[in-house]
Amino acid sequence: MSLAAEAFVSQIAAAEPWPENATLYQPLREDQILLSDCASSLAVQAYLRMCNLPVHVSCRSNAEYMSPSGKVPFVHVGNQVVSELGPIVQFTKAKGHSLSDGLDDVQRAEMKAYMELVNNMLLTAELYIQWCDDTTATEISRPRYSSPYSWPLNQILAYQKQWEVRRKMNAIGWAGKSLEQVYEDVSQCCQALSQRLGTQPYFFNKQPTELDALVFGHLFTILTTRLTSDELGEKIKSYSNLLAFCRRIEQSYFEDSQAGSSSRGYSKGPSLF
Amino acid sequence: MAATMELRCWGGDWGLPSVHTESLIVLAYAKFSGATITVTPIDWTWKTLTGTVPELVYQGSTITEPAQILNFLRKQRFNADYELSARQGADTMAYIALLEEKLRPALLHTFWVDAENYANLTRPWFASRSPFPLNFLVPGRHANTALSRILLTKGESPLHTITEVEGKIYSEAKECLNLLSHRLGMAYYFFGNTPCSLDAFVFGFVAPLHKASLPSSPLQSHLRQLDNLQRFCDHILNAHFSSHPGETSALRRVCVSLYIDDCFRSRVLGKGYKDPAGFLIERVSENLVNFRSCKAFSKHRTYNFCQVVICSRSNT
Repeated sequence: MSLAAEAFVSQIAAAEPWPENATLYQPLREDQILLSDCASSLAVQAYLRMCNLPVHVSCRSNAEYMSPSGKVPFVHVGNQVVSELGPIVQFTKAKGHSLSDGLDDVQRAEMKAYMELVNNMLLTAELYIQWCDDTTATEISRPRYSSPYSWPLNQILAYQKQWEVRRKMNAIGWAGKSLEQVYEDVSQCCQALSQRLGTQPYFFNKQPTELDALVFGHLFTILTTRLTSDELGEKIKSYSNLLAFCRRIEQSYFEDSQAGSSSRGYSKGPSLF
Repeated sequence: MAATMELRCWGGDWGLPSVHTESLIVLAYAKFSGATITVTPIDWTWKTLTGTVPELVYQGSTITEPAQILNFLRKQRFNADYELSARQGADTMAYIALLEEKLRPALLHTFWVDAENYANLTRPWFASRSPFPLNFLVPGRHANTALSRILLTKGESPLHTITEVEGKIYSEAKECLNLLSHRLGMAYYFFGNTPCSLDAFVFGFVAPLHKASLPSSPLQSHLRQLDNLQRFCDHILNAHFSSHPGETSALRRVCVSLYIDDCFRSRVLGKGYKDPAGFLIERVSENLVNFRSCKAFSKHRTYNFCQVVICSRSNT
């Protein structure tokens, strides 16, 4: 969207309050959704709950194609469709709900920097593990991604997605990395997050911000998802304050949806409780 | 260190030791941490096509990519981040990620994709530094890599062409520059009084944008409004890169930051005072002094790492 169109949309957004029938779309939870999409979706859900905005989660097999930017999740609010956490945060800000108003400029700079760190390291690592690691791709990612479709479409779509992700990894220089290096990068990222969090309840002051939602989405999904190896989860478990952080947000914001919270994604592993 | 470390990188121009971002990062970090490395520019060699830049060669092993090279230098005990707290180290990682995600696409676009800049500045420069017949191949290859990188990372499915992505990446880059400016504030370095790896990264990204004479660049005009980032680059250039081997003039005007303690302050405030070390101290403004040096001064490296303290007002 060009900048003028974006400004126009946010003007329209500001005009109406948040409706009751807002819907969030993601791929099918039990069979189709993958680790990275589940993490992004959980981050958006956590953010909306933190803002006290009601949203109904709807699982569709073609969510990725419905989305305006090709990425999930996306929310359908009134007569507008917004995808991905960044634009959704701006959209809710236009409607008057914001979690980061109390931050000064330096803190806002830090918050954006840490969000980019999570996107740059954790999300890229998740994509790498899903699609560039052959074992995971063959056993988990490709079958799950193409499960709603019949042959030969499922083969074509799965390989197309894998090719796309591998091209992107090539472009940013991750193609030459080995799996151990990726795990090491995740560990460093978690160390940075853990040091930034320290003993505070949330990353900034005592109130959660979109950074908390994003970190929670990724960490919780990694911890509660079973992959071919548990090493990723183990890396995170070694930082106790991050575990406590996830537990705290789960208890504060996801307590009411009892059955949903502990069996998120395709986890057959233990929940945090 | 018995063996010396050799760094292969692109050569310098426009007042910078190197025009390539990654090479600048490594060069700046080496200066900050005190590592002595011999710089071998790859200009006019076949490495312009075959080599990955920058590349550190030490005792037979080669290391590429700035992050790995910095890790290697730290292991060799050249550590500019020694005094950072754990939280500052975490902030460093976060800001570097911010630079990579938000600023790099726009810089790639400005130098390699924007037609006017590419035709008038970037391609002639890189072509002139590559041997025949590589001068036909090298710039084109870099431009293709840059374009594909921008499209793959920023061009989501409805935005397949570069023109639609442009607006988005430039607005993100301007926001990133604003964030850096807010974080830097009035200080000379990002953390405390000594430079560290984050300063090296920011310098590597921002200095080419600051110094290159780009025919058309909204991003450069935006940078011109952020005085503290420009001052940051100039300060690092003057303090750490001012001793170019090619300079032969006996009298060099060196702008340094100086830690002024009480007894020194009283000597500085007079205009034209000649310090016994052999340089002329000139007061430029209320808070800045210039040192006119003779050759002897260039050996006094300790002055480069001091930090300015605001001179107290006095009635001189």
